[in-house]
Amino acid sequence: MDGPPLTHRRLAFIIGKGGVGKTTVAAALALGLSDAGHRTLLLEVASQTRTDALFGVAPSTVAPIEVRPDLFAMSIDAERATEEYLAAQLKVRPLVEMMARSRAFHQVTQAAPGLSALVTIGKIWDLATSVRDGRPVWDRLVVDAPATGHAVALLEVASSVRDIAGSGPVRDHADAIAKVIRHPDATGVVVVAVPEDLAVTEAIEAIAALRARWLPVTCAVVNEVRHSPFGPADEVALRAASGAPDARAADRAAIGAARAVWAAARHDDREVAGLARECRVPVAVLPHVPDLSPGSGGLEALSAALMADAAIGGVRAP
Amino acid sequence: MRPDPDLIGLLGGCRVVVVAGAGGVGKTTLSAAIALGLAARGARVAVVTIDPARRLATALGIPQLGDEPHPVDPERIRGAGVAMAGTLDALHLDPRATFDRLIAREAPDAAARDRILRNRIYHHLAGAVAGAQEFMAVERLHELVDAGDYDVVVLDTPPARNALDFLDAPERMTRFVEGRGLRLLLGPRAGAGRAGWRAMQVGGHIVMSAVSRLTGTQLLTDISEFLQSFDGMYQGFSQRASAVGSLLASDSTRFVIVTGPRAEPAREAALLWQRLRDEHYPVGALVVNRVHDVPGGDGLPPDGLAALLREAGAADPEGLADRAAEALAAARARAAADRHAVRAVASALGNPPMAIVPALDDDPVEVAGLARVMRELEGTHDATGQRGP
Repeated sequence: MDGPPLTHRRLAFIIGKGGVGKTTVAAALALGLSDAGHRTLLLEVASQTRTDALFGVAPSTVAPIEVRPDLFAMSIDAERATEEYLAAQLKVRPLVEMMARSRAFHQVTQAAPGLSALVTIGKIWDLATSVRDGRPVWDRLVVDAPATGHAVALLEVASSVRDIAGSGPVRDHADAIAKVIRHPDATGVVVVAVPEDLAVTEAIEAIAALRARWLPVTCAVVNEVRHSPFGPADEVALRAASGAPDARAADRAAIGAARAVWAAARHDDREVAGLARECRVPVAVLPHVPDLSPGSGGLEALSAALMADAAIGGVRAP
Repeated sequence: MRPDPDLIGLLGGCRVVVVAGAGGVGKTTLSAAIALGLAARGARVAVVTIDPARRLATALGIPQLGDEPHPVDPERIRGAGVAMAGTLDALHLDPRATFDRLIAREAPDAAARDRILRNRIYHHLAGAVAGAQEFMAVERLHELVDAGDYDVVVLDTPPARNALDFLDAPERMTRFVEGRGLRLLLGPRAGAGRAGWRAMQVGGHIVMSAVSRLTGTQLLTDISEFLQSFDGMYQGFSQRASAVGSLLASDSTRFVIVTGPRAEPAREAALLWQRLRDEHYPVGALVVNRVHDVPGGDGLPPDGLAALLREAGAADPEGLADRAAEALAAARARAAADRHAVRAVASALGNPPMAIVPALDDDPVEVAGLARVMRELEGTHDATGQRGP
């Protein structure tokens, strides 16, 4: 892996299979970065507002809203972003207003292939590169990306458009976006999985697909990894005791439950090790936290665990 | 609380089974297990999988490339203790290959077909057409049903932030191909002859000349060509979309909604169920996947454990017994929470036919694992009720 650790990069994309906890990991990372003193913006795409359930504040599609000290959230709406882009580029107000009113224009924005992905990534780039009083408006941006296939399309669209656009401001704009997205000093892509065969397989394939497109995969996060308070010697004793003829039902049940915990943790460790071995990326591991609602402290605990992980902070995985 | 309906029996006689639900609930595995169950009872079955895990794909005999059906090795199925009366084929959805075939079929002539297939926009961005992947999933379903080689086709649905996207996909795709507004803006001849449209077109020219200052003329020409090459295909696409829509809504189709015992996928399952009911789709059954079993025992504390562990040679029998007792308490609490979640989702959906699949120790990525899930769907899980070590 080349480039600085994830926490040093301005722009982080959190991708992974549906249901693995991308939103949770994105929120935990953004919270950790803001706690470390970075002015941080957490972005959702496609008008999603899932961070609402974690912070108790619904992100707006209009402007960033502060959900914690130094932590802001926003949701990107492609159609609004298209209007903003054209308004900024064309600088002719009546023309822009005419467009916004035009039904044909809305059909264009919905139907033109790749346009919504392009303006979404363009809006992210715009936020990531915006400067006020000589310094960046945002120190860190964390993007809660859509499910893997759609996320790869989002990350790739700028270079596709650059390659097919020939010449003109859109081509130059796409080129500038593609350069930032592919630059390992600026951007980090984090692939999230859970310790299950399907999710790990998809993570391995996603990492290969991202690397083939020169996108800077920085680390993987395995979420909801089960931990065991039992060691190998405990397992030996539990197995021996499980055969005792005089064991009562409750004793057998406790032995069964303890051995299941041991087996589950071993299973998860194998999945984590398999991912690290196949992809050669640092892998951060997060526990399952049952309650992530605002005020429960769950997200804060998860954020602390994530930021303490060497895979996020930059020490190379063994 | 086990409802134990025979879900496989419930789906018998269907031509199409659509497996839907939030991401990460195990749709692909359940699609394969349902297909296996229907095939075991004598049907000729095809299962369309979307991004199966590599080991599952290997177990099913699906090659990495191509989207043609391949038979699952009957020896493997027999090896897993399943008597097969029918046949099971599996395939992996390749949206691009399906799109290519659709265009080849609907294009008025070979020149029109090649214009699209060679267009750079199509080449790079066909996957980015709104709803394309979801549309291709239902289109592939339609192809397989049409071909008539199968009694039933089981469709796994694509990952999406919204589990309902594939229902809207045919209409979105038709709107794209119709592209009335687009052609007004881009094609000077299109829409001519109607005064209202012509007025819009004048505005369109102003807008597009402004846009072309940004895009450069080449990109705009490419997009324009790409969209215009769909001219003459609208009727075919629209008929296709409506045929797919009728197939999904037909009496011989059943939707199976999959969820897990957690709030987020359960909420999505309830929304999906409601929408399917509202729009008169044939909802068949609910599957709650990965439900933790009650760990057994009689609910009493495991008081004799330290003594047993001492006899078994544990270094710290009291400490180990305490930790084991905690593990038992946690397993009981988790099972109780899962049962509560199952009751909540079942009641939110009006107590439909429901199957509960327990959380398995190993991910069911071999045929044997699928067979086990299949038996849970049949309500014939092993008689001991004991699972896990």
